[in-house]
Amino acid sequence: MGISDLKGLSSNRDRRHSFDLSSHSPFDLPYKTLREALWAAPRDKPFATMWQGEDDVQSVNFGEFTALAETQAAYLQQQGLSAGDTIVLIMPQGIPLMASFAAAMYLGAIPAILAYPNFKVEPAKYRAGLTAVTANLKARLVMLDEEFPQELLGHVTLGEFSKLVRYEKGASRERAQPAPTTDPAEVAFIQHSAGTTGLQKGVALSHSAVLQHLARLAPALMLRSDDRIYSWLPLYHDMGLIACFILPMVCHVPVIMQSPTDWVLQPATMLQIISEYRCTLGWIPNFAFNFLARRAHPETGAAYDLSSVRALINCAEPVRASSLDEFRSAFSRYGLRASALQSSYAMAETVFAVTQSALDVANGPVRVWVDSEIFRRECTAVPAESSNPRAACYVSSGKCLPGTSVRVVSETGQDLPDGGLGEILIQSDSMLSGYYNRPDLTAQALRDGWYCSGDLGFVLDGEVFVVGRQKDLIIVAGENIHPHDVEEIVSSHPLIHEGRVVAFGLHNPELGTQEIVIVAEVLEEENLTNSLAIEQDLRNAVTGELGVSARLIYLKPPRWIVKSTAGKPARSTTREKLLAEHSELEFDSLKKKGVHA
Amino acid sequence: MPETTEQMIEYIVEEIVRRPGVKVDEDTPLVSSGLIDSLALVDILLKLEDVTGTHIPAGKVQPKDMDTVRLMFSTAARVGKPRKK
Repeated sequence: MGISDLKGLSSNRDRRHSFDLSSHSPFDLPYKTLREALWAAPRDKPFATMWQGEDDVQSVNFGEFTALAETQAAYLQQQGLSAGDTIVLIMPQGIPLMASFAAAMYLGAIPAILAYPNFKVEPAKYRAGLTAVTANLKARLVMLDEEFPQELLGHVTLGEFSKLVRYEKGASRERAQPAPTTDPAEVAFIQHSAGTTGLQKGVALSHSAVLQHLARLAPALMLRSDDRIYSWLPLYHDMGLIACFILPMVCHVPVIMQSPTDWVLQPATMLQIISEYRCTLGWIPNFAFNFLARRAHPETGAAYDLSSVRALINCAEPVRASSLDEFRSAFSRYGLRASALQSSYAMAETVFAVTQSALDVANGPVRVWVDSEIFRRECTAVPAESSNPRAACYVSSGKCLPGTSVRVVSETGQDLPDGGLGEILIQSDSMLSGYYNRPDLTAQALRDGWYCSGDLGFVLDGEVFVVGRQKDLIIVAGENIHPHDVEEIVSSHPLIHEGRVVAFGLHNPELGTQEIVIVAEVLEEENLTNSLAIEQDLRNAVTGELGVSARLIYLKPPRWIVKSTAGKPARSTTREKLLAEHSELEFDSLKKKGVHA
Repeated sequence: MPETTEQMIEYIVEEIVRRPGVKVDEDTPLVSSGLIDSLALVDILLKLEDVTGTHIPAGKVQPKDMDTVRLMFSTAARVGKPRKK
């Protein structure tokens, strides 16, 4: 009961077999390893393009890319990297990073890409994190780009085993000795799961698991050899790494990229790139749909053409109907097809996608209207008429990929019937076997062969609806923030009562994502005269450690926070109390004036 | 303080920060201090283009170039191109 296995998929699956695979079928993957897949690519076919402005575009075809990777492999070999070693790559988005990744695989070594630090990061924290990750991965090499700021590095200690090297362009004229044939069951690379504590959670994925997954995913995407992928997604995140690098690399399709910061500062460049390169596929998180609709200010008279897009897939945050609708009405005038906006539920732990909406259905993912009162009270999604004032709309993330199943369970672990809201558990034939060198975290996440996602959702007729993260987790623009991490940072301030801090996420419809709200008690009521200075200290600390902003901080006198019977701050009750006292937190009343006409 | 600087500060305080009592001057760190999210930089960049009468090209600006109002103006002076009227 409640196992939404592949029942509903059978009819769909038949259709999948009838797709036009005319030219060549890139998802009939006859390869044993990722290296074999890449080096089998047609040499003159375009692969990666890095767009950094009209006058700054770098492009390589598959032949040039593998040549670059071989040059880098020779350099890495000279630096002591050999088969089975792990290498940490910390480089900005771009072709050199991708080539270094491929170079490591050429040698049979195991690459892991970590986030490139931004200027908000505190150097001491950064060094501590780097030391910890390197130790956990037992990394032989840590490779940084030429411009990695020295002041951030200071005197980082990596242990005797690890060595720090800088990427050097065309560093070697020697030829690398490729590793002998790699066993497909061996680890191909390590991808780190999202989130602030995610630094320690490396997911080790074998060649066979990744290839198996792509063989499932490519048909669900109806992938064709003439597809072109657009991406601004960072390569240290599963969406960027798997969907926008490994998938095109293995299935031999081009990818056109820009850096996340270039996109954030000039969101309209995404429309420009898609138009110019006739891109067909892309993935972006939910907030980006709102962000683009409101802030991609087109140049006057700009003639974008989005008609090439087959699927722009909403992934990494709960999918909201309003976000898709806003995007559609903003951009349908540029030829965006009604079927172009799609959805998926994905995570590093299953390589990538758990579900994918059906791309061959005219109007995009399935929507369901449920009675919101029953939903809140009984945690059951009961379909309602859309005209019912109590009806709330949920968007499906699609059905499970073949070889993947989900269950929805209650807090006590009981399977729930269709429509029941609970934690989503996942099993797939390309799932992680554990977190790299972290049996403790593995034991928490895997239960009887099922991965406990921590996501809340329900299933109706085989369609998976993801509603939010398990109660307290905050998702800010696709980043998972654990409230206790925020609370710990705030608690350590000398004028804050330790342990009397509550952090929670509040959905800001204007941003299309959550914002962090912090409530903290000061030690003495008179400390409140200093509150602006304390608030700023706290913002600096939270931003410096977690990299997210904390605009909304509320300092309160002692004993303001509501405690549970166990004597701990009660998050939900405190949240209600704060919202009742601060009407400005009702974001609807906060609509900006005239900013997005 | 030049009028353009005042205009920028007023915009940031009233439209972006929106927390009563928070003071911003030319050298207040904005993104690195958590006062604003980098997602808000696109609005600030547009305002900066308006105030300085320039067009600031994609790919030439990093969030760290926008961390204070003073940095914003030096960025606009460095990479901004006069806007066609």
